[in-house]
Amino acid sequence: MDARAQLVMVFHLDKCLGCHTCSISCKNIWTDRRGAEYMWWNNVETKPGVGYPKKWEDQEIFKGGWVVDGNDLRLKALGKGPTLLNMFFQPNMPKLEDYYEPFDFDYGNLYGSREENDQPVAEAFSQISGRKIDVIRGGPNWDDDLSGSQLYASNDINLEQRGIVEDYGKMFMHWVPRICNHCLNPACVASCPSRAIYKRGEDGIVLVDQNVCKGWRFCTSACPYKKVYFNWDSGKAEKCIFCFPRTETGQCNACAHSCVGRIRYVGVLLYDAERVERALLRPDDQLVEAHRDVILDPGDPAVRDAARKNGVSDQWLDAAVQSPVYALVKEFGLALPLHPEFRTLPMAYYIPSLSPVLATLGDSHELMEHGVFPSVETLRAPLSFLASLLAGGNREVVAQVLGKLIALRAFLRAKNLHQPIDPEVLKKAGLDEAAALRIYRLFTIGGYDERNVIPAQQREEQDPHARSGESGFGILKKTGRGK
Amino acid sequence: MLNTFLFVVLPYAALALFAFVTPYRYFSNRLTWSAYSTQFLERKTLYWGSNSWHYGVIPVVVAHFFGIFAPDAMQSILANRQALILLESAGLGLGLFALFGCLVLIVRRLVTPFLGPVTTAGDWILLALLLFQTATGVYMGMFLRWGSQWYLHTAVPYFHSLLLFHPQAEYMSDVPMVFKLHAAGAFLIVALLPFTKLVHLLYVPFDFLKDPPILYRWRSPKAGG
Repeated sequence: MDARAQLVMVFHLDKCLGCHTCSISCKNIWTDRRGAEYMWWNNVETKPGVGYPKKWEDQEIFKGGWVVDGNDLRLKALGKGPTLLNMFFQPNMPKLEDYYEPFDFDYGNLYGSREENDQPVAEAFSQISGRKIDVIRGGPNWDDDLSGSQLYASNDINLEQRGIVEDYGKMFMHWVPRICNHCLNPACVASCPSRAIYKRGEDGIVLVDQNVCKGWRFCTSACPYKKVYFNWDSGKAEKCIFCFPRTETGQCNACAHSCVGRIRYVGVLLYDAERVERALLRPDDQLVEAHRDVILDPGDPAVRDAARKNGVSDQWLDAAVQSPVYALVKEFGLALPLHPEFRTLPMAYYIPSLSPVLATLGDSHELMEHGVFPSVETLRAPLSFLASLLAGGNREVVAQVLGKLIALRAFLRAKNLHQPIDPEVLKKAGLDEAAALRIYRLFTIGGYDERNVIPAQQREEQDPHARSGESGFGILKKTGRGK
Repeated sequence: MLNTFLFVVLPYAALALFAFVTPYRYFSNRLTWSAYSTQFLERKTLYWGSNSWHYGVIPVVVAHFFGIFAPDAMQSILANRQALILLESAGLGLGLFALFGCLVLIVRRLVTPFLGPVTTAGDWILLALLLFQTATGVYMGMFLRWGSQWYLHTAVPYFHSLLLFHPQAEYMSDVPMVFKLHAAGAFLIVALLPFTKLVHLLYVPFDFLKDPPILYRWRSPKAGG
């Protein structure tokens, strides 16, 4: 057993209100720079939708992630030899149009315009070329809240029936906030010819060493989630850093901290690095189970000993025991990985959305009798859609999770209204009263310290003398093309 | 006088700049060590430009170095007339390929508005120099035949004399002007290399070929390794 620690984020999609506050706090801190205007290390997309960059989920376009080849995993895009032969032109790289042309508005004109008959306007200009943009044709959330459904939402590859988003009676949507998943088997790391991308041993955060990166750009397409971006000014790759300067000191990531819906949970998972590869060789519909198998029980003494051997401190082990992430992902099995079939073993998990808790019956939905919850099969968000998004196509796994969420609501509704509680409701869903109350607390009234259990890095135990003077003022050197 | 400047002063200045500025840049600020790809902003013409340029120029440059470091082997290969003709035509073909690529890269930067903000004076100097270098090379390939052979008796012994710190510009004094310019251009490129994005060619990804796919970095010395 090779037990290692990983910082993981869980997103409760039912609670996401699509406000984009997470994206803004991330942008303000990390990517409000030249060359990074178009990057959204954290973005929120409406599902169904084509996302950002457009159609990122379609690996026939960008060739991201891994595929099973006999008894081995290989990158879907290029092996090592072909990578070197394609160094002068990266065939799968997403281009600017796949994201959007970043723009800003000439607010100065509102003050500086000379007196005329009409009110001055702030015209849009490109943040790359500086030229005026007459018609803005795209943005990071162009299809927000199902706008332009026929163009965008109906092209969502997870949809079985495209027409569903055009029929008011059947329409559904929810939001999916996305950051870098800090995968256990990151394809970006494997694709980097410069060996600039690495996974930190202590907390599993995947980072790009800006000194080593030469800008060959294979990572930008190898990441199936399109969460590695190319800075067009500095000529290097950049990505979400899981706010490591904050998590190292025990603070929560900016996106999670600013989350209005309090949908995010951050905590430690212990996993067995030896099981990763074997887990990923399993067929698509068994990958959620494979994910759960890789995650270790932090209460097991054998696991704790193995983790200690890898330098995981007692503070981290305690955090792993209290981890809301462990509870949601493994203990209660509520959170699912985003597109596990890309086989990077993503370490961001999503609790599927139950809402709208309205059933579709016949051609249009009917409100259910007050106090009665619909069965999983008649929910408005089709099971197949959620299964394609979060379970490698396995509907059963998603149905189990939704069943738990419905049972939880039924149980708590009865409890709050002092109605007789049917113990079978929870039992059938695989929960008991203690579990239900714990989940209820995490979902609703759990405070900051319950939702985020982040142990600080203990630098005093990590060879401090060898590393003295290494950090303090950040990067003071110049980047970019020297313009 | 001109010969002394072109073949003694310039080469040593170039080599000195290369030898001292390159490590200085590497150790002082590697944040600017990049090929500064523009594929993200424009990819259609880059495909033709970049591929033609690199696949054309790399074998030709390698052949130049082969001549310098293994002149005897080269000589014995070229003694075979068929091999000579084959090599000459392949070299000329690759040169034309590179020339085409270089022209595409130049035109591309001129006509694409997006590339304005990412094009520096250094890029233009470099492109102009590389165009000049490729054009003179192709010219010699066409009009001064059997260059792969006479190169071994002019430039190669001259390079050896340079590397032994006993420069003998005489080897180069009687060659055609275009050849002199071609040699001088080469030294200019070496001199500019550490100051421009050309530094990207100093990296060959050997580690990538031998490493396991997932790279870890540990802070704590007791863990993982």
